[in-house]
Amino acid sequence: MKRSWGADTPVRVRASTIKLRHARGRRPNFGGPLLHRVRTHFAGEGARVTRALLIAVIFLPALAHAYAGPGAGFAVLSSFWAIFVAFLYSFYALMTWPFRQLFRFIRRRNAYGKATFERAVILGFDGMDPELADRFMKEGRLPNLSKLRDKGTFTKLRTTFPAISPVAWSTFMTGVNPGKHNIYDFLARDANSYLPYLSSAEIKGPKRHIKIGKYSIPFGKTEIKAMRKGTPFWHWLGNAGIFSSVIRVPVTFPPEKFQGVLLSGMCVPDLKGSQGTFCLCTTRASDDKFREGGVRVPIERVNGLCRSYIPGPDSPLAEKAGTELRVAFEIKPEPGSKSARFVVGSEKFILKVGEYSEWIPAEFKAGLGFTAHGICRFYLKELSPEVEVYVTPVNIDPGHPDLPISHPVTYSIYLAKLFGPYATLGLAEDTWALNEHVLDDDAFLAQAYGNHEDRERMLFDALDKTKQGLCTCVFDTTDRVQHMFWRYLEEDHPAARDVPHSQHPPVIQDLYERMDRLIGRVMEKIDDDTLLMVISDHGFKSFARCMNLNAWLHQNGYLALKEGKSESGDWFDDVDWSRTRAYTMGLNGLYLNIKGREKQGIVDPSEAGALKDELQEKLNGLVDPSSGKIGITGVFIAGNVYRGPYTENSPDLIVGYGAGYRASWDSVMGKVTGKVFEDNMKAWSGDHCIDPRLVPGVLFSSHKFIDEKPAIVDVAPTILKLFGLALPAHFDGKPWNLAAKAH
Amino acid sequence: MVDRAAAMISAFNFASPMILLTSPLAIVIALSVVVGLLMVVLFGYTSDQRAIGIAKDQLKAHLLAVRLYRDQIPVVMGSYGKILRGTARYLKLTFKPLLYVIIPITLLVVQIDRYLGSAPIAPNASFLLTVHLAHPANARTTAGDADSQVTIELPQEITMSAPPVHVAVENEIVWRLVGSKEGKYEVEVKMVADGESLEKTVSIGSGLPRISTVRLRDHFWERLFASAEPSLPENSPIESISINYPDRSIDVAGYGMNWIWLFFILSMVAGFIFKELLGIQI
Repeated sequence: MKRSWGADTPVRVRASTIKLRHARGRRPNFGGPLLHRVRTHFAGEGARVTRALLIAVIFLPALAHAYAGPGAGFAVLSSFWAIFVAFLYSFYALMTWPFRQLFRFIRRRNAYGKATFERAVILGFDGMDPELADRFMKEGRLPNLSKLRDKGTFTKLRTTFPAISPVAWSTFMTGVNPGKHNIYDFLARDANSYLPYLSSAEIKGPKRHIKIGKYSIPFGKTEIKAMRKGTPFWHWLGNAGIFSSVIRVPVTFPPEKFQGVLLSGMCVPDLKGSQGTFCLCTTRASDDKFREGGVRVPIERVNGLCRSYIPGPDSPLAEKAGTELRVAFEIKPEPGSKSARFVVGSEKFILKVGEYSEWIPAEFKAGLGFTAHGICRFYLKELSPEVEVYVTPVNIDPGHPDLPISHPVTYSIYLAKLFGPYATLGLAEDTWALNEHVLDDDAFLAQAYGNHEDRERMLFDALDKTKQGLCTCVFDTTDRVQHMFWRYLEEDHPAARDVPHSQHPPVIQDLYERMDRLIGRVMEKIDDDTLLMVISDHGFKSFARCMNLNAWLHQNGYLALKEGKSESGDWFDDVDWSRTRAYTMGLNGLYLNIKGREKQGIVDPSEAGALKDELQEKLNGLVDPSSGKIGITGVFIAGNVYRGPYTENSPDLIVGYGAGYRASWDSVMGKVTGKVFEDNMKAWSGDHCIDPRLVPGVLFSSHKFIDEKPAIVDVAPTILKLFGLALPAHFDGKPWNLAAKAH
Repeated sequence: MVDRAAAMISAFNFASPMILLTSPLAIVIALSVVVGLLMVVLFGYTSDQRAIGIAKDQLKAHLLAVRLYRDQIPVVMGSYGKILRGTARYLKLTFKPLLYVIIPITLLVVQIDRYLGSAPIAPNASFLLTVHLAHPANARTTAGDADSQVTIELPQEITMSAPPVHVAVENEIVWRLVGSKEGKYEVEVKMVADGESLEKTVSIGSGLPRISTVRLRDHFWERLFASAEPSLPENSPIESISINYPDRSIDVAGYGMNWIWLFFILSMVAGFIFKELLGIQI
């Protein structure tokens, strides 16, 4: 009987009163496990029986060849083993600690000798917007952030070009501009194929295979290469003997070795290797495909029993590439109730309609001992007349990670053992499912806040374990919820016109209040020897209007389609490269089709400068004819905003959309349509991938910094300075100056 | 002759599985597997599997914490304390199901010990019959003494190889006997004064007979675990009659072991395998 991890999360809460039960029957809270006394079926009578047995055992004569069998043997041995191993570890740590300290001293790693603070706690609230924060503080909704503002610092924090999370957080951790860390977007483009690839990490399977019968056995190791360059500042801290706990900072996959612990964040793939492929299992027949990140899987219904499967990674052993591994599951509706019994492998559980399951293990067996370990959650959408089940993307199981998602490898396992399974996927909150109307608002929020609670537990554990050094944790909830619910902040957002403004739920207000309460709890755990910083990588603005830049390029003669085509497919299908001088892919990047660089480039390198200037002039200040508003408020030539050895990998131009605008969904995927401007009707209604000058992030601090116009690139040098360390020469950021250490 | 050899070989071939079944080692192995399975299933049925799983995971987490934060002595010591508390919690969770398991298994072991714990007396080997008396006044006997209070009557197949010895300090009388022929015999122990006659079973031979090393008066629990014979009368001056059967040693790869130890190890191994196969947390 495998145990399950925590109780189901009821989802039937209104968006206006978003409350998740604190004790959902989940894993023990930080501060002390609370074991649930699940009664066996001997309860009541069991107490009397137990007493009788206890008396019998106590009064059994010692002569009795009392043998308790494997059960007692295991219990005793397990307990003894645990104590013995713990004693060995503790003894080792105690005995060697003086020598390690001496070694560090000899190597001049006097960790805290010149430090201003014993500890720095940096909380990243991805996407927290300073204008909204200011507004809510003035309304009295954020008392703890207000305290930080009054006692220390509250100001805007300049972001990166472009204002996208992987770019900004890479700059945060390395202290350099993108030209030195090589991250410009979630995606980069392959100049040979014009197709995208993940910009942060490259995963390659073994190159060689040995064919044995129907199996093709991989020979060699999987290569995982970090594409982000630069050194995170916690490495410099570690070199000086300062311990760091780093939790879910984006673009930390694969994790690098340093003195501390780290759990990778954004850009960790799911078990399929994607950034999150959800699954809708349904009895409804449909040929429709999801536009973003999901698959439809049929449910077979036979005599009341439903059977389906969870699609998993490709088999590493199959001769034919792309052979998918699957985990089968069954659903048996309970008669007369809105619930069903699920059987997934050896796991059995009951779900009501509108409920999530706990994290369920999903083991994908390829044969010959090859197994991929994943976890996923089920959400029962509908039971009658049709059966529909949403399954989250299959996350890498943190208790059995098949890819490295933490440093050391045991850190993710430690967290899983302490708190139970948790989301490991980089983009854990399934915004695509909400965009595709597979999930509704409540279900998405339940998922998002469930992940958020896990993150809070990890943070408080790290705070407890890191009394000295650096503790940093990034919360993605602020970003995801603002993306999906900005429509309720405005009176006339196209994506919320079906709901009267007076009925718009205060989702984002609730979100900020929740984050503020978190700050309050953190402040209770720290003292004046701790610097607390709350930062965000960028702010937020409405995303009410889409702009298809590829369409504009087409209409203005910079991009050509094949004969007879008025639109293209995804990823420049039907684009005539022989007549195309510029194209856009991703959120803000515009590329020239340069001869010698792109496989089918036609723009002479000597003409590239003039073409960039031309495009900059034409696009800067581009007006949306429907609204009269400026769709693009700034176009930036890469060479002017980046400097470093990786500038050549950047887009040629960075497009800064105006407030209310963003690249269209089609444009991001390299599709050319007929419309340049159109309404954004999706739930994803807020964004920040616009002119970076319009979406700075926030900086709150427990201590006053006196610098003007601080930027996210300054955080790394500031931390190093506050710990008394010399700054590497290549840093682009400048350390802030502390007004005075408050007492 | 060839036919006889062939007959013997075929008889042996037929008998070899039967030999396996009467082999103490085979019995212990079979028993260990069955008991291992039953115990694991019973444990799984009577325990709070979820709580045990959580308790074990917590222990593993704190062990990992000692390693992860080994440079931070307060964290190390704190984790060690949590491990101790976690171990106590884990033992508390396993205590109740173990109670359900200990009782039947103990009784089973007691019964099996009748067959495997002691070996019968080999023919022509001497052994001791010991009578323990309740009061010292009754322990007067010498060979040929007309005032002997306790005498024994032996079957033909058993002879006395030395006069009885009175161990006054222990209130015991000890006879050295020898059995000449395989079989199960009754030795009569008589109180001369009142003619009370009590019997003690003796097993001579080989194999796996059921053996009772002692016959007791009162001492219910001790009788339960040590004796396979009816109790002596309550008012009898004789407290116990015992025979010093040799301990049975089971040969495992040239090493002689008491069956209990072998059973413990094998049932642990079997239990481990079954707990993994059945997914039961212990």
